[in-house]
Amino acid sequence: MAEPDFEAQLSRMFAEAPSFPDTALFNAEMAAKLDRGWAMRRMFIGAAGVAAGVIAAFQILSTRFSSEVSQLSKSSSHSFETEISAGVAKFNAVLTTPSSAEAVWLAAGLAVVAIAFFVTRVVEDF
Amino acid sequence: MERPPTGHDVELAALAAAGDRQAYGELVRRHGSAVRGLLRRLGADSATADDLAQDAFMAGFEQVADYRGEGTFGAWIKKIAARLYLKKVRRDARLIFSDNAEPVEEVMVRDASGDAASRIDLDEALKALSRGERLCVSLCYGADWSHAEAAEALNIPIGTVKSHVKRGLDKLRAKLARPEEGARREAHG
Repeated sequence: MAEPDFEAQLSRMFAEAPSFPDTALFNAEMAAKLDRGWAMRRMFIGAAGVAAGVIAAFQILSTRFSSEVSQLSKSSSHSFETEISAGVAKFNAVLTTPSSAEAVWLAAGLAVVAIAFFVTRVVEDF
Repeated sequence: MERPPTGHDVELAALAAAGDRQAYGELVRRHGSAVRGLLRRLGADSATADDLAQDAFMAGFEQVADYRGEGTFGAWIKKIAARLYLKKVRRDARLIFSDNAEPVEEVMVRDASGDAASRIDLDEALKALSRGERLCVSLCYGADWSHAEAAEALNIPIGTVKSHVKRGLDKLRAKLARPEEGARREAHG
């Protein structure tokens, strides 16, 4: 047999997929693995989203707090410590006033959800 | 009961890239046996071959967005499977290529249907090859790798791959020709 003919025959023989008696089992195992992998991935993405949201919410709150501090520190009539105390008091007042506290925590919660959703979408698209 | 997705492999791969596991499951059904068979022909035992085939399909699912229809999906997933197998045997590669005397022991799963004589002949004939010859022949003819790709993946000179392929082909030719010759002799006798 000529070499190219034999090589072509060999390629054809290799291209024929063998049949296995446990093909259905293999396919079922693969389907289960894909499902597990997908569930894990979604859990990971969800956890990453929530973590990112929590971090973002803390950043928002701390930025608001630090801006209050810096604004107060510009005032020359009080000492720095006094200004800090005033800033903390103001921050606490925002959190403890029933309606304001609700608004802040609601906003923070919404921010967590929004950022979790955003991160989830970005990771899934990626 | 849901109907399995239909369509060309490229369409199914695009659906899988968008997260459609049903579509990817159909690709597994279509190409699972080919991948399992290739891994056995490369020299993996049944359990290892099936584990690696599953790993290859899982890796394929992660990377399926990279497959854009250049070449067949079968060739693409076989390449992933072959790379995983080589990663596994790379530590033994030196042993494989210095050991050119020992043919591979019985590692093939017999075809349950027994209806394809050529396939059985190939699987039987491959047993006569050394591990290095079998690896090189199966990579080049089963996974469509070039000699250069095989040499690079195996970290051996391309000349070594070529000589293993040549020796392997000579042995396969002799093995595969034998049944025909035997039948011819019987017909004349």
